[in-house]
Amino acid sequence: MENPFNQITRMLKQKKERLISTFPTMQPAVFLKQHAGILDDYFRESFEHSMVGPKMALYKNPYAIIALGGYGREEQCIHSDVDILFLFQKEVPKAAAGLIQEIIYPLWDLGFEVGYATRTLKECIRMSRKDPIVLTPILDARFICGMSILFSNLLDTLRQKILARQSQKIITWLVDQSRERHLRFGDSTYLLEPNLKEGQGGLRDYHTMLWIGRIKLNIRQPRDLEYFGYLSHEEYRSTRKALSFIWDVRNRLHLESGKKSDQLYFENQIQLAETLHFKKRSGQQAVERFLGELHANMDFMKQQFLMFLSEHGYANTYRKKNRYRLSVHVEGLALNRDKLDFVSSEHVLNNPALLVQIFEESARLKTPLSGQAKRIVIEFRHLIDNEVRTSPPVLKAFETILREPAFTIDALGEMLDSGCLLSLIPELKGIVNRIQYDEYHVYPVDKHSLRTVQTVRAFGTDQDRSGCPFCGNVWKGLKNQKRLLWAALLHDIGKGSPEKNHAKTGAGIARKIMSAFGYSVQDVETVSFLVEQHLLLMKTATRRDIHDEETAITCARIIKKVSRLQMLFLLTVADAVSTGKNAWSDWTMALLRDLFLKVMNILRKGELASRHAVQTIEKKQDAILASAKTPDERSRLALTFNIMSPRYVLTMPTAGILEDIALYQNMNDREFVWHISRDETAGTRIVRICAKDRPGLFSKIAGTLTLNSLDILDAQIFTWRNNIALDIFTLKPPPDKIFENERWAIAERNLTSALSGDLDLASQLKKKMKAISTIKPRASKRPHKVNIDNESSSFFTIIEVFTYDFPGLLFAITDAIYQANLDIWVAKISTNIDQVVDVFYVRDVHGQKVDSEEQVVSIEEAIYQRLPNII
Amino acid sequence: MKKIEAIVKPFKLDDIKEALNEIGIQGMTISEVKGYGRQKGHKEIYRGAEYVVDFIPKIKIELVVDTAIADQVVEKIRQAANTGKIGDGKIFVFPVEEAIRVRTGETGVDAI
Repeated sequence: MENPFNQITRMLKQKKERLISTFPTMQPAVFLKQHAGILDDYFRESFEHSMVGPKMALYKNPYAIIALGGYGREEQCIHSDVDILFLFQKEVPKAAAGLIQEIIYPLWDLGFEVGYATRTLKECIRMSRKDPIVLTPILDARFICGMSILFSNLLDTLRQKILARQSQKIITWLVDQSRERHLRFGDSTYLLEPNLKEGQGGLRDYHTMLWIGRIKLNIRQPRDLEYFGYLSHEEYRSTRKALSFIWDVRNRLHLESGKKSDQLYFENQIQLAETLHFKKRSGQQAVERFLGELHANMDFMKQQFLMFLSEHGYANTYRKKNRYRLSVHVEGLALNRDKLDFVSSEHVLNNPALLVQIFEESARLKTPLSGQAKRIVIEFRHLIDNEVRTSPPVLKAFETILREPAFTIDALGEMLDSGCLLSLIPELKGIVNRIQYDEYHVYPVDKHSLRTVQTVRAFGTDQDRSGCPFCGNVWKGLKNQKRLLWAALLHDIGKGSPEKNHAKTGAGIARKIMSAFGYSVQDVETVSFLVEQHLLLMKTATRRDIHDEETAITCARIIKKVSRLQMLFLLTVADAVSTGKNAWSDWTMALLRDLFLKVMNILRKGELASRHAVQTIEKKQDAILASAKTPDERSRLALTFNIMSPRYVLTMPTAGILEDIALYQNMNDREFVWHISRDETAGTRIVRICAKDRPGLFSKIAGTLTLNSLDILDAQIFTWRNNIALDIFTLKPPPDKIFENERWAIAERNLTSALSGDLDLASQLKKKMKAISTIKPRASKRPHKVNIDNESSSFFTIIEVFTYDFPGLLFAITDAIYQANLDIWVAKISTNIDQVVDVFYVRDVHGQKVDSEEQVVSIEEAIYQRLPNII
Repeated sequence: MKKIEAIVKPFKLDDIKEALNEIGIQGMTISEVKGYGRQKGHKEIYRGAEYVVDFIPKIKIELVVDTAIADQVVEKIRQAANTGKIGDGKIFVFPVEEAIRVRTGETGVDAI
């Protein structure tokens, strides 16, 4: 005869296969129940046909087979564990091992994960009392077959001996476990790859609710949560809906991965989105929409669970020492056992502003809303219409909520969870539960936006997430923090639309929202600007050379105002900090802060990036491009314009720029070209030189001119970005006007040999000076002054020399600078009668400022030495 | 085999990746590092307080290649990373004794 177990096992296998084949069309809850049902069948048949059972003297020591845990709840997912208890009345007989072999082994062979226990009633109670981990599955126990009285004995004893006596202790343990679990699985990696069971809003939250209900009120079935008033009808319905979705995902995950698996890894997500029939829509991938919905459902579960805990007095405690001082300032709200409540729902109907004000009071008093109050908010939030939205008390309330640090109470988060925030700012809808499918964006867009607000207001506190006290200093110095907070809330609002450029789209939406709230034009424009440019600094810091002055100037021209830069910097930091750990590090911070300081410096000085400067540059660009006769020439001019330094364009008149372009285009391979013109009214000569920049170029030109008795009145030098130097000298007319052209020709030859090193300018000049006159000490009340400024520019050391004119002065100073191994990038030389003011922007040969004290002192001394003594 | 290690300016990373892609190199290890060489740190003033930027953020690229193409890889990196300014970085080349792919146990050039 065939072993009856072969038959039973075959039946189970067939039933399971059939069940799985109908799975796609079945309600998840029904599937779970039927899955448990076929297992029940198996155990009943096994019990009946067992060959070991009858040998165990059942009449003296009866036993029962009891389902535990998820199997007990009849929530059996495809690869969930089968938890089973063989409960004996008096003792576990030796033959029990045979029973297990007979009943359990075939299940293992079929691939079921079975956890079984053989215990006596006494053992069960003793172990449950000692260890809640043993107790919780028994809370879900369900009788399958055998001696039913044993099962009722177990439940009764459990209630009398444990639940009745230690309910507080057990519940506290459960709540602590949940909290620890949330901490562990709330970690960012688990948000990207959520754990359907242990994660926040996972199935374990629902189990814990059931267990607490069972311990306290002996509820038998999930629906009792509603019948006993733990959940409203609506909440119970939504809970089932959320559960159903999570179960569905879990089942399919089991099916696809072929094993018990609760963590939704990246590699499963795309496939699951497809099997669940999610489609790409309005710029969102199917997988993003799937994760968005999963997130919404798990978030709902989490909210229900937290509300459940809070209503039963197990929420985080917000004990405050001075609690007795608290008083509610808003009529229609009241404190009720340390929670905020509406006085009545009529109050809300008559004054819907209360729906927002209650969160303001919650933030101000650091006191949570009661569960009832939350329900009222959810039920009445539709009352927040345009009129309510724009009423002054609502706006004031919301500004407080934005501003108030959220260390104990996260009023803004509560507003989002209750849907109240969405009623207040309907434009947020597109970003609620919006997932970005990558490893970078850990949080859905709405949660990320709220985190950004939190990060901003925590700057400078001991909860500062940036890890950089510098941000706190900038934050405290802000005059209008409100604008930044709004920008933080709205910066990603454009991600709700299918358009590609979310910053730009968002700026438009933000402008609409802020205007609708009745904010001033400056407020509206600033917030909209911040939203539009919220990526500027990060992109620039990581993708541009921040040690190039041009980079800082470009940013400064877009940002225009110091206060905007401060806000944009803080927004950038907060945005990155709140994105996830891949987006933020002190490495990024170092880049960002450096850029911030450099742009700040440019804006403070104003000359290169002011509105006026920008307009001037644009005008000049237009004029220069307009001078082109052909499109080819126009594009050539545009190219050349782009390599000019901003200082050069700002300072040089358009005509001068055009002359220089002509010179530059004539240069070809020569070391330098020059052009000499006369200023007829002043009688002076103007020399424009275009040369390949090299160390000492300026001093060599100055020396050559002096050597040829050409006295320098003024000079300006600039360096273009392709290392072309433009030097413009204004000279006194040469003493010998008849042979002027010959003089220039000699000077040109001299400069060529000076540049090639064939002419030793210093010694030639020494001879010449002796021949003309010696530098005489002069009588004066004012001494020379050499001033070295390292503060005004982030990119250059600025040397200012105030002195008196004498032949060869400029060569003396520039040669001293050259001998000190410094490059001159910009210079302005002006002579007023005999008073000279020379300004040089220099860097060392490595392209850096010279800001160590020794360097500064030695440069000063080197220049002083070359100036004549003063008596 | 050679290990090539390059310290470069952060904004040059994409250019370098692209340049290496052109010659068929796809794998490399990137780290965000801080340090200074000739391009020493500098000071910035904000609201009267001095901020010293002593370590400058850089990107470190590491890759192991067949000796036959090491020179070419170095040259590609050098060209891509070059701005002609201070702080463009440095490239180091080391000999590599052995490479082993963990999954298959392959060794030598096959493993890189």
